[in-house]
Amino acid sequence: MEGMLNELNFKFKSENPVDVVLPKHHYGVVGSGDLEVLLKKHELEGAVEIRVVSPVRGFDHVWEKVLEKVISDAEVGNVAIEINDNNATPVVVALRLAQALSEAKSAEQSVN
Amino acid sequence: MEIMMGQGRLAIEKIVDPESFKENTIGESSFEDNEVGPGAVVGTAQIGDQDCTIIASDAMAMNERFPVVYAGIIGLEEGYKMAMAVYKTIEADKEKKGTEKRPILLIVDTPGNGPGKQEEIFGMNKSTGAYQLALAEARKAGHPIVAMVIGRAISGAFLCHGLQADRILSLSSKFETMIHVMPLTSVSVITKLDIERLEELSKTNPVFAAGPDFFYQLGGVEELVEEVDGMRSCILKHIAEIREMKAAGEEARLGPWGRGALGEQRGGRMIRGKVMAMMDKQFFAFAEQNLY
Amino acid sequence: MAKWTELQDKSFLEATARERAVGIVDEGTFTEFCGPFDKIYSPHLPLMGEAIEYDDGLVAGVGKIGKKPIFVISQEGRFIGGSIGEVSGAKMVKTIQLASDLYEEMVSEKPDLPEEMRPAVVISFETGGVRLHEANAGLLAHAEVMDQIQNCRGRVPIISLIGSRVGCFGGMGFVAAATDVIIMSQFGRLGLTGPEVIEQEMGKDEFDASDRALVYRTTGGKHKYIIGDCNYLAADSIRSFRETTTAVLQKPMEEIETFRRIGSMEKIKEQIELVKLSVSLKPKDSMDVWAHAGNENPESLINMTLDEFLAQAKRLKA
Repeated sequence: MEGMLNELNFKFKSENPVDVVLPKHHYGVVGSGDLEVLLKKHELEGAVEIRVVSPVRGFDHVWEKVLEKVISDAEVGNVAIEINDNNATPVVVALRLAQALSEAKSAEQSVN
Repeated sequence: MEIMMGQGRLAIEKIVDPESFKENTIGESSFEDNEVGPGAVVGTAQIGDQDCTIIASDAMAMNERFPVVYAGIIGLEEGYKMAMAVYKTIEADKEKKGTEKRPILLIVDTPGNGPGKQEEIFGMNKSTGAYQLALAEARKAGHPIVAMVIGRAISGAFLCHGLQADRILSLSSKFETMIHVMPLTSVSVITKLDIERLEELSKTNPVFAAGPDFFYQLGGVEELVEEVDGMRSCILKHIAEIREMKAAGEEARLGPWGRGALGEQRGGRMIRGKVMAMMDKQFFAFAEQNLY
Repeated sequence: MAKWTELQDKSFLEATARERAVGIVDEGTFTEFCGPFDKIYSPHLPLMGEAIEYDDGLVAGVGKIGKKPIFVISQEGRFIGGSIGEVSGAKMVKTIQLASDLYEEMVSEKPDLPEEMRPAVVISFETGGVRLHEANAGLLAHAEVMDQIQNCRGRVPIISLIGSRVGCFGGMGFVAAATDVIIMSQFGRLGLTGPEVIEQEMGKDEFDASDRALVYRTTGGKHKYIIGDCNYLAADSIRSFRETTTAVLQKPMEEIETFRRIGSMEKIKEQIELVKLSVSLKPKDSMDVWAHAGNENPESLINMTLDEFLAQAKRLKA
């Protein structure tokens, strides 16, 4: 990402990861204080990769903590995630990612 | 340096054949109520021995019925008057072949569309929209349309009066011509970036900066004119070129669509074409499966 | 988790651009172009430190209503106010062009193409017009949209849907005015100049932008219905907008053309009469126009339910 946006990359692995059902899934809108999540099923030996693009700088450790918690709670693996953020709070980040993962784990596709 | 801003009527005199401009007359038709839309100047002149419809703004005129109209603002009446001038032009040449239709010259010096309560109640958006549709119809019917920016070409008013032309020309920035949506100071407020940073960015990216040079890079202006006395010959050259291109079926190189390609050629708008190419490909794949 | 059937009763005002796009066409028929997974985002926003979205705030695609291919454009007000930049502008222009090209192709294969197969364009507006971060490209895209709309005249109907939070203003205000049919909800707003700019130009005494009731009366769906700028007033649900759209598209192209406000000398002669009315009436408020249209107690219209309003409101005939 060229320019003034901050790009963060993480890799996590939960204890008993289960694969998502949907091969790809999109969730959310990049409103002010909100974000969008893109999930893609991807062979990663059970791990989860997350790339975050955000105008916010200096909170890398907060992102790490929040994302790690959501992934560990969701117990998913083999998925590549991208997040486009616009100043979402940690609570909103956790809520949106958890919802996106929950939809990707079920067979029913949301349009959202 | 001769600044043309605010002098639409003088610009007409400098461009057309001497004393040939007949205000409020187009073909057999005249405007019944000369008082309506005083901010808009419409009529017919000769330019290089051909009839040409002229549409300009009068920056000195006030509209006593609509106080927001002054300094060249296009108000409710003005937008419809300009649209009517275009439809009368189409009407005047309806029997002529596409290649013989008279040109329309837009002399552009307008700071905006009428921004009032009464305007919103009655729908200012229709007035400016009506004028744009009329110009698009005339352009597609074969009339060569040239816009000549002599002063201000600002945002929605430029969309209305200018951006539907086949070709857009502008006096260069030494004439203090202004082409923009917003001055850089306002862009700075919105983006929270300081002016210095924005000026630095605009050196490599013309997409938000103000001025005719940036619009040239984006394909929004075809040619910059360096002399006031050069306007007439440049306009005549472009009218001739437009006629040739239309006769050769090359309409896609003119008008808003043509400016898209020009913007890519000049390196100013690089992603527009990629978006469209991807959509073409995706639609083709969809259509093969679903429509045939 | 919103399936198509559940989307139908969703508030149009609250729905995202993608929900509106999917829900406005028949179940399971929507295919998106340049969707989030294609990752075509604005290259200009990162330069200014502004967040990006992978669809650039505009959902474009094609679906079906009955046998008709329906080209859908749906703007997302939550992403930078639904504003038009280089990418979202190109998506809008291209979608209309694809509809026009498909019509051409279908007619060349089948000169007596039945009305029920004629392609159409549906635009769900939620925008203030040009995106100021990439204003020049946005402005040039607006001109291209108007050019494409003129190409579609009398061939491919274009229907505007306006009932989202941001309304439809700026350059997109005249884009909507240039389409064939306008469907609004009472929560939709349509105009050129937004309320804050009017206040700035005219002063707070003339126009108080914080007075929401005044703002809605001036550019809202009920007023635009009375004055004739919107053709239909729908309820605030995706279903109601879809059913109204479907009903309009049953009509032959020639009839749909009669719904227009502008686009011919005859049409603008009618509009010029309306401007004369504006001069003689000098309205201080939209309600002056409602009263002139024959509504004896205009204030009572403000809080009426949609059904009451449709049963009682008298519309202006220029």
